[in-house]
Amino acid sequence: MGRLAVSGVSKIYGDRHAADSVVALRDVTFEVPDNQFCSILGHSGCGKTTLLNIAAGFERATAGAVTVDGAPIDLPGWRNTMIFQEYALFPWMSVSDNIGFGLEMKGVSRKEREDITRHYIGLVGLEGFDSKLPYQLSGGMRQRVAIARALAVQPNLLLMDEPFAALDAQNRAFMQEELERIWQREPKTVLLVTHSIDEAIKLSDCIAVMTSRPGRIKEFVKVELPRPREEDDPSYIALKRRLRELIRDDFVSQ
Amino acid sequence: MAAPPVAIEHGAVPPPRNRWRLRLLAALAVLPNFATLVVLLIVWQFASKVWLPRIDPQMAVLMPAPSTIAVTAAGMIASGELFYHLVASLKREAVAFLFAASAIPLGIMMGWWRLVHDQVNPIMEILRPIPPLAWIPLSILWFGIGDEQNEFIIFLGIFFPILVNTIVGVKNIDPILIRAARSLGASERRLLARIVFIGALPQIITGIRIGLGVGWMALVAAELVGASSGLGFVINDARSMLRTDIIVVGMLTIGLIGLLIDAAILALSRRLLPWSLAMRK
Repeated sequence: MGRLAVSGVSKIYGDRHAADSVVALRDVTFEVPDNQFCSILGHSGCGKTTLLNIAAGFERATAGAVTVDGAPIDLPGWRNTMIFQEYALFPWMSVSDNIGFGLEMKGVSRKEREDITRHYIGLVGLEGFDSKLPYQLSGGMRQRVAIARALAVQPNLLLMDEPFAALDAQNRAFMQEELERIWQREPKTVLLVTHSIDEAIKLSDCIAVMTSRPGRIKEFVKVELPRPREEDDPSYIALKRRLRELIRDDFVSQ
Repeated sequence: MAAPPVAIEHGAVPPPRNRWRLRLLAALAVLPNFATLVVLLIVWQFASKVWLPRIDPQMAVLMPAPSTIAVTAAGMIASGELFYHLVASLKREAVAFLFAASAIPLGIMMGWWRLVHDQVNPIMEILRPIPPLAWIPLSILWFGIGDEQNEFIIFLGIFFPILVNTIVGVKNIDPILIRAARSLGASERRLLARIVFIGALPQIITGIRIGLGVGWMALVAAELVGASSGLGFVINDARSMLRTDIIVVGMLTIGLIGLLIDAAILALSRRLLPWSLAMRK
């Protein structure tokens, strides 16, 4: 379960009547049905990370609300968990302890925790690395641990903040495929922030294109291409061109 | 096709037998560094045994020869006297450390809650620059002469380094780890115990190392004036009997034990917190 509704969300930094206040988001509204993968696409500074932070409960909206299945999000927690660009693994915990951390916070018994952890280690392809510490892993493997750790708590909404931006191009493409595979095996409502058009098209059921200052939804695009998505598919190319133009307009107007 | 993930190897570890041989070779390689020391010891031995007695026998007493010191040390070890005083000193250091460990929770609270920091910090900043030794007169009036007074002085030496380092350790934790823990459902209490405390642990251990070093120095000073046992007492007591050889044995023991305590904590933290070294690289 996890129907995400973003309704009329605005975020103003500073006193809203002061001259130096910054409008990061203005009246952002869209919905993501249960178990759909939605991307927020936009240039840096368009407020997409602010929106994600509100959905994660790290920040409060100045107006409007983000709800999952009708319940408003106001605090961070496992129901709306986040995957970070910098992985944010606990450096003193082994791979399995990292994955089990959220379960422990949820009060899952040790025995059950071990079973769930083992399942997710398998799902992200890290068998045999259970007892390794994060510093012993490559960037791609660290992000797999972070994905497994987030999925293990069974969130209603999974948030991702440019999760593959720190990886090299090859690893990034590979991890995108992996994420799609994992998500198809265990569907979740996902909200992913990215500035990569290809990443958005490859992974998403819907794409919210944002423009900056103030951050608004310029267009909400449904992606109906069959999966897996091929870059040389004419409709892929057409969609890519359309998204690029939507974003470029914003860049020019800046 | 997905390539199987590959772990990054960090310094392949040779098999145990080989490792010991390597260590032995490494130990032998530093031997030439002791050449100057050996020459100095020989000169010292000559000066104390041959040269000084010839020009002024009383001066020779003030400068015991290395051989005399070695014989005295062997005697003090054999009789158990050295061990008795060493244990007395270590016990005071240990008791003081147990009390000074209260700096860890206090430091975590000060590093975590701004209000606590703002209220407690002025008090600490007034007390911290006062050298532990400056507390000796007042502490003798408070506790009398004995273990409590000694332990109080040592406590002051250990407490502040731990406190300062704990606060720094808490403030230096990567904020993304705090966010990640919250996002996985960690409560404030769990966050403090599982993330903040452990994340600050490398810095806390640095504080403990510095603190025990300062405490060990304060201990000797405290025992000089207010004790009837301990290494500080030994060297002060030997002074009244003009036993310079005992004084030097006591001094060397103090230095050696200080070094060993520091090395032990360092080795322990390397073993228990391998991740903290990796992060520093």
